[in-house]
Amino acid sequence: MALRWCTSLPVLLLSYVVCSLAVEIQSFENTNILRTVELGGSQVQITTTFAIKALQPNAKTYTLALDVDEQEKTSWLEVRLKGQQEGLEMAPREDDTGRYVLLDVTLPKALAVNGTANLIVDSIQTGATFPWPEKAAQAADQALKYRSDLFVISPYKTVTQKTKLRSPSPGVISHTTPKNVESFTLGDPVTKSGATITYGPYQNIPASANSKFLDEHQQRVIIHYSYEHPVLEVTKLKRAAEISHWGSNLNIQDEVVLRNAGPTLKGQFSRIDYQHSSYYKKSVSHVIPAVTLHLPAGIRDAYYYDQIGNVSTSRLRTTPSVPKGSQANQYSFLELRPRYPIMGGWNYSFTLGWDAPLADSTSYDSKSGKYIVEVPVMTTIPGAVVKEAEVKIVLPEGATDISYVEPFPSTSWMFTYKTYLDTSGRPTLLFEYQDLTIKHAQSIYVSYKVPFSAHLQKPFAVSAAIFISFMFTLVGRRIDLTLHKQKVQ
Amino acid sequence: MPSRLALLYALLLVPFSLALTTHERLVNLAAAGNGVIKLDTYTFDLLTAPKRNWTAAIHFTALDPRRRCAPCAEFNPAWQAVAKAWSTVDQAHKDNHFFGTIDFDDGQAVFQKLSLASAPVVYVYPATEGSRAPASGKSAPFKYDFSSGFEAGPLAEQLSPHTPIPIPYRDPINWGRVISSGFIGLGVLAAIKFASPLLKSRWAWAAGCLVTTLVMTSGLMFTRIRASPYTGRDGGWIAAGFQNQFGQEVHVVAVVYGLLAFAFTMLTLVVPLQRSPQRQRIQVYLWTTVIMIVYSMLVSLFRVKNRGYPFKLFL
Amino acid sequence: MPTAIPLPSNVSPATVANTASLLRIVALLLISGAAIASRLFAVVNFESVIHEFDPWFNYRATRVLASKGFYEFWNWFDPTAWYPLGRVVGGTVYPGLMATSGVIYNILHSLNLPVDIRNICVLLAPGFSALTAWATYMFTKEMKDESAGLLAAAFIGIVPGYISRSVAGSYDNEAIAIFLLMFTFFCWIKALKLGSALFGTVAAVFYFYMVAAWGGYAFITNMIPLHALVLILMGRFTSRLYVAYSSWYAIGTLASMQVPFVGFQPVRTSEHMAALGVFGLLQIIAFAELVRSHVSSQQFKRLLYISVAAIGVLGGLAFVGMTYKGWIAPWTGRFYSLWDTGYAKKYIPIIASVSEHQPTAWPSFFMDLQFLIFLFPAGVVFCFRQLRDEHIFVIVYAVVASYFAGVMVRLMLTLTPVVCVASAVALSSLLDTYIDVREPEVAEEPATDNSTQGAAPTNGTNGSQATTPASATTTTKKAKKPAQPTSALGDLVSLVTSKTGKETVGVFGIDTRLTVILNALGMLVFFVFHCTWVTSSAYSSPSVVLASHGADGSMHIIDDFREAYYWLRQNTPQDAVVMSWWDYGYQIAGMADRPTLVDNNTWNNTHIATVGKAMASSEEVAYPILRKHDVDYVLVIFGGVLGYSGDDINKFLWMVRIAQGVWPDEIQEPNYFTPSGEYRVDERASQTMKDSLMYKMSYYRFAELYGGGPATDRVRNQQVPKVGPTLDYLEEAYTSENWIVRIYQVKKEDPLGRDHKTANSFTHGKKRKRSKPAPRRKAIAG
Repeated sequence: MALRWCTSLPVLLLSYVVCSLAVEIQSFENTNILRTVELGGSQVQITTTFAIKALQPNAKTYTLALDVDEQEKTSWLEVRLKGQQEGLEMAPREDDTGRYVLLDVTLPKALAVNGTANLIVDSIQTGATFPWPEKAAQAADQALKYRSDLFVISPYKTVTQKTKLRSPSPGVISHTTPKNVESFTLGDPVTKSGATITYGPYQNIPASANSKFLDEHQQRVIIHYSYEHPVLEVTKLKRAAEISHWGSNLNIQDEVVLRNAGPTLKGQFSRIDYQHSSYYKKSVSHVIPAVTLHLPAGIRDAYYYDQIGNVSTSRLRTTPSVPKGSQANQYSFLELRPRYPIMGGWNYSFTLGWDAPLADSTSYDSKSGKYIVEVPVMTTIPGAVVKEAEVKIVLPEGATDISYVEPFPSTSWMFTYKTYLDTSGRPTLLFEYQDLTIKHAQSIYVSYKVPFSAHLQKPFAVSAAIFISFMFTLVGRRIDLTLHKQKVQ
Repeated sequence: MPSRLALLYALLLVPFSLALTTHERLVNLAAAGNGVIKLDTYTFDLLTAPKRNWTAAIHFTALDPRRRCAPCAEFNPAWQAVAKAWSTVDQAHKDNHFFGTIDFDDGQAVFQKLSLASAPVVYVYPATEGSRAPASGKSAPFKYDFSSGFEAGPLAEQLSPHTPIPIPYRDPINWGRVISSGFIGLGVLAAIKFASPLLKSRWAWAAGCLVTTLVMTSGLMFTRIRASPYTGRDGGWIAAGFQNQFGQEVHVVAVVYGLLAFAFTMLTLVVPLQRSPQRQRIQVYLWTTVIMIVYSMLVSLFRVKNRGYPFKLFL
Repeated sequence: MPTAIPLPSNVSPATVANTASLLRIVALLLISGAAIASRLFAVVNFESVIHEFDPWFNYRATRVLASKGFYEFWNWFDPTAWYPLGRVVGGTVYPGLMATSGVIYNILHSLNLPVDIRNICVLLAPGFSALTAWATYMFTKEMKDESAGLLAAAFIGIVPGYISRSVAGSYDNEAIAIFLLMFTFFCWIKALKLGSALFGTVAAVFYFYMVAAWGGYAFITNMIPLHALVLILMGRFTSRLYVAYSSWYAIGTLASMQVPFVGFQPVRTSEHMAALGVFGLLQIIAFAELVRSHVSSQQFKRLLYISVAAIGVLGGLAFVGMTYKGWIAPWTGRFYSLWDTGYAKKYIPIIASVSEHQPTAWPSFFMDLQFLIFLFPAGVVFCFRQLRDEHIFVIVYAVVASYFAGVMVRLMLTLTPVVCVASAVALSSLLDTYIDVREPEVAEEPATDNSTQGAAPTNGTNGSQATTPASATTTTKKAKKPAQPTSALGDLVSLVTSKTGKETVGVFGIDTRLTVILNALGMLVFFVFHCTWVTSSAYSSPSVVLASHGADGSMHIIDDFREAYYWLRQNTPQDAVVMSWWDYGYQIAGMADRPTLVDNNTWNNTHIATVGKAMASSEEVAYPILRKHDVDYVLVIFGGVLGYSGDDINKFLWMVRIAQGVWPDEIQEPNYFTPSGEYRVDERASQTMKDSLMYKMSYYRFAELYGGGPATDRVRNQQVPKVGPTLDYLEEAYTSENWIVRIYQVKKEDPLGRDHKTANSFTHGKKRKRSKPAPRRKAIAG
């Protein structure tokens, strides 16, 4: 209440200070913050290391702060202690100013006073970059711009912090030089060495997760860098996984709408220039001639078609399926080549599907009598971000007590749907996701029971139908409907 | 010969008529050559003078037998007929359009100037002045399209848009056809009258039907529609190409088909009637060999037409 | 009696009959299997794809039917075709094909079999070919007997003449039409034999189906009346003929008028007048017969005949008069061009330009029918031999169809069935004679066997016995043809054979039999090889996907058409209008899903001529036309790089001709030839040719592909000029991998209001300002 009141009247400086003090529960301080940004195409990886020191006894919850639009861009975030794999659980907390979001991270064990720890925050941003210039000719190179905040904000005081932006190629075209940061640093605020831009180090930053600091010091930095690889974007991904116990077969079919999110093509596409450039091996960076996919091992009869039929220009190199449990990660490689090179801003939609032996992805739990099937959420198209994804899992007809575990939350529901000679229909799960990145390539686990009778349902239905039709013909042939016999002359 | 005289007459006339305007001289020339002006290099330039309020249809040809221009000879009568038809229209219109014929031997220069390498060619020069000059102002001549043949009918039809009034050309009644068709009709009647047993006999009809099917299935209609020659120039009777054939092929193929069909019929209908085993056996073998040989001939003939054909029989 | 080989004597007739019928069923099933399998080359070699051009429209329409339902389809106005005119599809198609696959689609989906509509469309033709084989079997059974029927079924199953129109993927009306044709004829024959109104009605129903399915129904509409007329002239008028024809005509005509596209044609156009006339004639004759049966005065009968004749003549005159007055439409162009063969070329170039409307040379006959073509006359002879009513039908059919097939390649399709039937009759009677194991005795033998056979009821041909006195002569001979001796042995024999002629007729010895039979078998085997080869090599390529074979025989697929169409579909605005020559209209609509100016349903000559004019005239002239029809993209097919001969430069002259038909003073064909009258694309090409939009779009930047070397057009085998044409009003938008499809975007008006030529020369500085040729020079070129 008090907070709302004071934020609604920011003019009253005194109360302003008070309530800004009220926000700061100084249980920690950041001795060092190092943020490393790996500039990329549609995905940007950010690793932030917080070296924290407890100021109060048994401090257990450390609070992270995320700027709002940064939080919108961030499609995946994980916090872990340095040197450990599994993430810590965190609870988001909306700040009332609405300018940043707070995340309460629960440390595995409480820190004593002056106890230190190293938190590592891994996050992936999507849609953080945009092509500049927005139009590029067929032969021109492409360059992107990345926009970010200068300071990593935190509810706590920060002794020193530094931000590194690493571009994939040395070609950094331009970067902003921050203004009025003399209060934090004596040296020059930004240094450029090769492909790396370093902001900071900045010393003695007050608690920055508050309107005062954001208004006074926070500012935008923009990096303009050239990017060699195509900027891929899957606008829609529809995956349908169909489980058949009769064929012991897991059929997976993806309907993909692919888009080249790089600079849109200026002018028109000239085949002869394209052929020349590919002939002289100086292929243009932002054109997508072909995409290589990693499909699971042991798949058979993969198919690749689009709305007007089979696309004959694709090659599949299969590898035998690996025994379960073995960590050898083998893949079948599918090099699929669109009908036409996808220039900047062009779309290409296609359907890709394959059959995989059910045994590779299912296991049967004999005591609970349940099958457990593993369905990957997506097949990563390298460097592409999936805007919308829809995963449909069709369980065998007559499957009962179904339960599932999904790697990350989604909107999901269940219905039944009828296909090949079904009588009662198959239970089907549907999951919907947004902004999937390479980190999201995980699996959904579904467990269900199939009674033996359900297996026999279909053959019974079919044979019954055939039998009935035979009976009808049998009777029909023997009924004589002629009114009066024709006399045979 | 009359045209020669006309030419002489025209040439004599030229010097006297220097005083006359170009148009009047052209009228005279036209009158002299009963509708067609026999052109040479000089008169051609007169007729196609850059400032003209008349239209001129000019026929470039090479009638001299030494030129060996068969189509020219074929087309000339049609041209003359149309020109004659034009000369019957009343004075007012007649003098606004001229028909001219220029022979290669009289006006080689003209042919070279127009870079004409083939004959016959018909150009229609529109008027450049006066009411009949085209609105577009284009003085380029219209080239007659021979794709519809050398007949006079289409010629008149296609020239009419360029003449002041449509050319009153009418195909002459083809008495020959009338008479012949009359005779045919009479013949049919006579046949019905006298040869009615023939018309009633099944096998007469059978023969008719057989001949029809045979010639039709051996491409008679193709040769009729495409007017393909009876044999090739070099006397070869097999036309090259899968979709092409000569007239003679119709006969050969029809005979081959007929022979094979006949052999089958013999085997089925006649041979079993044979009462003595020996003669029957001989016939069976005879007809079987006939079938084999003729059939393999047919296949090899087909291989000639269709190079890619992979199969062959005994020969 | 003596036999060539010993026969088992302990077989009961029932067993024999059952075995035979079982064998027949198995044989029919195998034939169907062969018929379907032999049509799947295209699917095996390529994929399950719709072929060629018209099928793409049928496919598109079927999709609409399947997704939106029949009523939506019925009044479907397609605004994207014939832009900006649009097309009322429901009223301008023969819906039978789409309806058929729509029904199949719905049935399968009601059984929860989610089969893709495309696969149904692709596999419809093979499926129906199996039915055709069955229908032919039934038909031929009426002509001779089951064995002939099986032969005929086998022939029609694999004969290339029919496969050419019914391979998997050629989803065209002919696919189902031939089955309907044969079955209608079968029902007609059956109705005629039994004089049953039931079969007449069935014939009418299938006739209606045929009318709804194919424009070629006119063939039935004239065949059956012709048959009836011939029968009447032969004095074979019977009550059976009357019943059969009346029931067929009345119901069939009324039903056929329910098809919107046909409407009132059955009573308004000349094609249908024959049927109407024969119908009237039959009524008159029937009436006359009736009267005659009651009245018995000689002169009255004469009077009757005269009056009948008079009425007939009057009817004919009335018909002529009404045609003259225009109440009855004269023959349509396509139909008329069958009689006056020069007609089409002169007056309807569009019809003449279609390759399948060309006359047929004899190799095509042999290619499509192989040895059937010479068994066919023999079969006709056999029909003459026992001249029953149905045989007359075959004879008439044979003569008419062979004429039509000679005039138009595509009508080979109507000839094929009768060829199969006739040659099956011929071959089977040959085999009958030589497989018949009974040897004749040299001595005269008692005719007991005869008499029993004569009395024995015949299975295939009852009803046809009671023919008029005219055919009584044939009846006696025929009555013992499909004989069924009472002895089990004779039973067995008469099932494998059906012996013709008397007991004393037959073949001696084994060797003779073997010679002939082996010879026949050899021919059949050769026929099978031939059919397989023709089908796989000639008739199984879906012209949408091309295949090129490498030196090592590896097949490389050339997919340019779909590449370009899919590019259009994915990367152009939904309402972008695409202009192309009419051949590609249906494909663009089907695959690229974009509006087109003209397409393969060539109902509007002027519109097509407009496109032809735009293609044939220079940029300056063409640009206003394009803008007026707000064309966004122009699509041309160019085979010069790959040597694909079916490209637009080769079709160009037709465009010119058709345009010339409408604008004779703007487009003139001779201007596109060299002065020496050649059609060239190289340096010596005429200026008009070089200026034409088609030429420019085809060869734009073509020479650069050869990097300074001689740029050779692989189709024309000519070297195109080093300095290629330049485009001012259009810009290249897309070119497929092998350059087969080239798409150009039409520039919008220049923002500064300059014409694009000056704008371009301004942007490119002063360089390459081509001086326009003097108009006079241009005119006399050629």
